[in-house]
Amino acid sequence: MTDDETERFAGQIRDALRNVIDPELGYNIVDLGLVYAVTVEDGGVARIEMTTTTRGCPATEYLKSGARDAAWNVPRVEFVDVALTYDPPWTPDMMTDEAKMHLGIA
Amino acid sequence: MPGVALSRWTMSYFAAALAWLVAAEALMAAGFGYPAAPFEAPETLVLVHIITIGWLSLLMCGALFQFVPVLVARPLYSDRLPLPTLACLLGGLIALLAGFLRMTTETGASGAPFAIASILLGAGFALALWNLGRTLWAARPLPLPARFVVVGLFSLAATVLLGIVFSLTLGGLATAAHAIEVTTHGLPIHVVAGLAGWLTFSAVGVSYRLLAMFMLAPELDGPGTRGAFYLGTAALAIAIPGGVAAICASGNVAVSLVAASLPGLAAAGLYGRDVVHLYRARKRRVIELNSRMAGVALAGLGATVATGIALLAAGAFVRHLGVVVFLVAFAWLSTLGLAKLYKIVAFVTWLECYGPVLGKTTTPRVQDLVVEGRAGKWFVLFSTAVWCGAGALAIDRPFIFRLSAAAMLIATLGIAVHLLRTRRLANVAPTLRIPKGVQPPHLLVCRAQHP
Ligand code: HEM
Repeated sequence: MTDDETERFAGQIRDALRNVIDPELGYNIVDLGLVYAVTVEDGGVARIEMTTTTRGCPATEYLKSGARDAAWNVPRVEFVDVALTYDPPWTPDMMTDEAKMHLGIA
Repeated sequence: MPGVALSRWTMSYFAAALAWLVAAEALMAAGFGYPAAPFEAPETLVLVHIITIGWLSLLMCGALFQFVPVLVARPLYSDRLPLPTLACLLGGLIALLAGFLRMTTETGASGAPFAIASILLGAGFALALWNLGRTLWAARPLPLPARFVVVGLFSLAATVLLGIVFSLTLGGLATAAHAIEVTTHGLPIHVVAGLAGWLTFSAVGVSYRLLAMFMLAPELDGPGTRGAFYLGTAALAIAIPGGVAAICASGNVAVSLVAASLPGLAAAGLYGRDVVHLYRARKRRVIELNSRMAGVALAGLGATVATGIALLAAGAFVRHLGVVVFLVAFAWLSTLGLAKLYKIVAFVTWLECYGPVLGKTTTPRVQDLVVEGRAGKWFVLFSTAVWCGAGALAIDRPFIFRLSAAAMLIATLGIAVHLLRTRRLANVAPTLRIPKGVQPPHLLVCRAQHP
């Protein structure tokens, strides 16, 4: 894949991840800034690095498997690896402006 | 699914707790116990333990089975033990109430029910402590909120041990000199350990985490928060083991209680400062009903402490002890409990029904499971009724107190209907309600689903 294609492919996966909402904030995990990185490798391998709003959040496993399933639905994705990280810890500043506005965040 | 922390029996604890709350409010509205009967009367003891064990302790245990794993990011030691634990606690409570009621009969023969109550309540609380204790032990070093819970659990052990000594002594089964001395003078220690140690200290610990989580405020563990923890722990140590030692040594508990009040007030002050900071520093401008009502409960705690100090200064504390206990139980603990219940039921139900299909289909938000506007009115009625009730107790108007209790009862039923609707997914738009592969939730049992 050319760089352009890789970029577009990763963009498609990000778009798919927008179907996963954080149940508590009621907004998609991408625009909340919970998805730290999406990289794609040859052979349709997608690697997602994500976090949760709070460590020990009871929804953690569901968010992880939700992200995996959503990415899997993207055509040409053959394998998805979702890694959870708390470094750096998530802060509300990582949200997009629309997400902040939606949540009424100063 | 590994790592999915849904406590299976928590909903059963919540349902049982609410049923006892309704019973207590109905009894108060009917004029049973204080203020119609004296504060020490067996009828009042019945009422007090329906509230403290039936409502508040079951609520707290159910919540801790769900939230200790969140606090320490580890699974609960056993997800099966909570059911036998609940059975023991319910059986033990009924026996305890039977023992108190027997005291009012002519023979007053309450030995048998008190013995059964001691065994069952002892076993039930021991199981809860074992389960939560193993969970916490495996997670050392503990974050600050979890350490508050540890101190709360030690206080629970002390409360129950003292309660058992009292019961066995009142039932004529314990006759050792120290048992009689502890029963004669130890009541304030039992009350402080139960209300301040077990229920308040645990709630404070959990609140640090939940307030930060639900309002997107920074998690606090600076010197002020640590100060609140150490001073509060010191106060409880002076009041509980210190108080028992003082009774055995000199038969006088007042000195240790007065000594404990200073660090206790300092801890309350530091906690108050932290809470104000959490609300001010929150990123979420518009906060949900549960956080607003938690604010009302926290203000209730502040007002209760202020009322206590004012009564002490006026030398009227002992005469108005009933008002203070009522405020702690309702303006603070019950208001907080109902507020958090409203959130936890929605959150847990969401996890149970929609967690497994996240990313596979469109899911509602947690907020779609509730209708805050309508529920909010019942919360306002509840708080207003609580403060009217406290005022009625303070100025000796038993009839107004009963009316207030009736209003609390109606408000509680209103909130219970909302909780039921949440659990039934009745507020969710029909198109989103039951996605393919999802089973509607059982009312009392949480199951992890695998579609
Ligand atoms: C778990 C939390 C508990 C709390 C917050 C609590 C609270 C209280 C309060 C406020 C009183 C004084 C009521 C009054 O004088 O009207 C009291 C008395 C008493 N409690 Fe508890 N209690 C708890 C658990 C227990 C348990 C588990 C038992 C028994 C196994 C028990 C047995 C007693 C007895 C026998 C008395 C009467 C003592 C006397 O009059 O000398 N309590 N409790």
